[in-house]
Amino acid sequence: MLGKKFVISVLGEDRPGIIAAVTRVLHEQGCNIEEVSQTILQNQFSCFFIVAGPPEGTPAGLVGALKDKTPEFGLLFQAREVGAGTVGPRECGGEPFVVTTRGPDRKGLVAGITCVFAEYRVNVAQLRAVFRGGDDPGDNIMIYEVDVPVDADQKELRKALSLRARELDLEISIQHKNIFEAMNRVI
Amino acid sequence: MFTHGEILSVLEMLRSEHLDLRTVTLGINLLDCASDDLGRFRERIYDRITSTARNLVAVCDQVGEKYGIPVVNKRISVSPIAVVAAPFGPEEMVAIAGTLDRAARDINVDFLGGFSALVEKGTARGDRALIDALPEALASTERVCASVNVATTRAGINMDAVLLMGRQIKAASGLTADRDGIGCAKLGVFANIPEDVPFMAGAYLGVGERDEVINVGVSGPGVVKKAIDRLLKDDPDADLGRITELIKRTAYKVTRAGELIGREVAEVLGIPFGVVDLSLAPTPNVGDSVGEIFQSLGLRGIGVPGTTAALAMLNDAVKKGGAFASSHVGGLSGAFIPVSEDLNISRSVENGCLSLEKLEAMTSVCSVGLDMVAVPGDTTAETLAAIIADEMAIGVINRKTTAARLIPVPGKKAGERASFGGLLGESVIMQVNNAAGDTPFIRRGGLIPAPIHSLTN
Repeated sequence: MLGKKFVISVLGEDRPGIIAAVTRVLHEQGCNIEEVSQTILQNQFSCFFIVAGPPEGTPAGLVGALKDKTPEFGLLFQAREVGAGTVGPRECGGEPFVVTTRGPDRKGLVAGITCVFAEYRVNVAQLRAVFRGGDDPGDNIMIYEVDVPVDADQKELRKALSLRARELDLEISIQHKNIFEAMNRVI
Repeated sequence: MFTHGEILSVLEMLRSEHLDLRTVTLGINLLDCASDDLGRFRERIYDRITSTARNLVAVCDQVGEKYGIPVVNKRISVSPIAVVAAPFGPEEMVAIAGTLDRAARDINVDFLGGFSALVEKGTARGDRALIDALPEALASTERVCASVNVATTRAGINMDAVLLMGRQIKAASGLTADRDGIGCAKLGVFANIPEDVPFMAGAYLGVGERDEVINVGVSGPGVVKKAIDRLLKDDPDADLGRITELIKRTAYKVTRAGELIGREVAEVLGIPFGVVDLSLAPTPNVGDSVGEIFQSLGLRGIGVPGTTAALAMLNDAVKKGGAFASSHVGGLSGAFIPVSEDLNISRSVENGCLSLEKLEAMTSVCSVGLDMVAVPGDTTAETLAAIIADEMAIGVINRKTTAARLIPVPGKKAGERASFGGLLGESVIMQVNNAAGDTPFIRRGGLIPAPIHSLTN
């Protein structure tokens, strides 16, 4: 019987075979994968799993088994048990917008923009940022997919983001997600 | 989740390729404002226009901001005034044009179209009054646009009206001589005019339309040009099949953006959505030109041999992409080649690539016609009418819309410059064959009958 849910994170240098090794161990531990998201940043592998595990399973037990059985990859594991009912599909509480910035690379760009989001209760659903350095704006891009609360003052939010972008020497655009859907997707 | 490429390609279109929504045009039916009391009529049309459109500009700006795509022009089209104001004479028609102008100014739209008459088979009293009023109405107003449909494939060409229009164009030019004849820039003479055009000067609300409707005109010559440039940079040997496929896909994107914004504007205003007009509409800015596309395709300039084939290919690809993107396509839908409004096209005239005759040939494969063509000030009314008649014949025989927006520039000769300002641009005055000569053919008048292929029932 599967009675518990765990969130497991995996970090390490990317190479072939990591997912095969990790999922084999999870299977041996009696876990059923419910959702997984994996990405590679430069040459670094990262992966999150949400799994349903056996009633006797523990986070420490899972991490121990994963470490013991995948030593050749030098991976870093973390696991946490989540209570029944606390994990489920994310509720989208607002209007979906895409915020994009370009500008010369410098420290504090992500923090500078996201603190405006936080102030207006804007939730970041996806963030991709590439900073290749230098002054070419095309080499330094942040793309945020965000949910703007329905009751947020959109005019004020735009003003605050534009002001912050100017302070950070960034070009910013704030567009409803539907325009990207309309122009890029057939259905 | 969108890919980097999906997001960045949209941003690039906005940042450096002049992607915008060229116009949102609110059609307003004025038929039930009819009255034989001039004061009451003017009051009714003013109230109808200003109350229906009071939020148009604000809503367009708000929706444009939401999607990050500006709505450049907000416009009004109304029922043909020659029908709505049929009881009135020319002087009253001029006063009505003044009322329309005031309404347009008060709601801050840049143009109002519909000072129009439909005379393809004959000229009724209201039509004649409106046509007689045209020179004064165009000279005394700033934002009113006029159109006269003188031909259809089903009716033939009303040659009496064609000659009359030649004379009125000449007169309108004379009344605005201090501004290079700009009055004529707000007047189009049409064959097969559609009832739902959002673009000026031909916008009017057809009598078969509902009370109110939102029609939009997309843009995108800069987007198409840059897409072709990118393809040819990656693959210099790309053939025309690949290029047309690319144009088609690009037109799809531009159309989808236009329809999304147009529908939302319509929804917020509580007005039904009508059509997307798929025209590639240029402006006098570098990078926003239909003419530049021809250079990207490998022609020395628009007008050299090969231009008509390239234009036919471009126009067809734009329509195919747009038709896939939207089920509600209308208006003119094709590539515009307005000479003074497109910096590259006006330069082609200047450097000898483009002649009036070649321009006319090109209009047989694209929308809309001889558009914003500056001609010598001494061109006679008969020669103007003859140019119009040729253009109408192309429309009638090919079952398509064609138009002539000719501007005889007072006191100036071929090769000199005419400047109209803003979006209307500037151009070298084109050479006209037989400009000041006699043309008895045009004076014969009557109706050129409808072509045999009009008998389709």
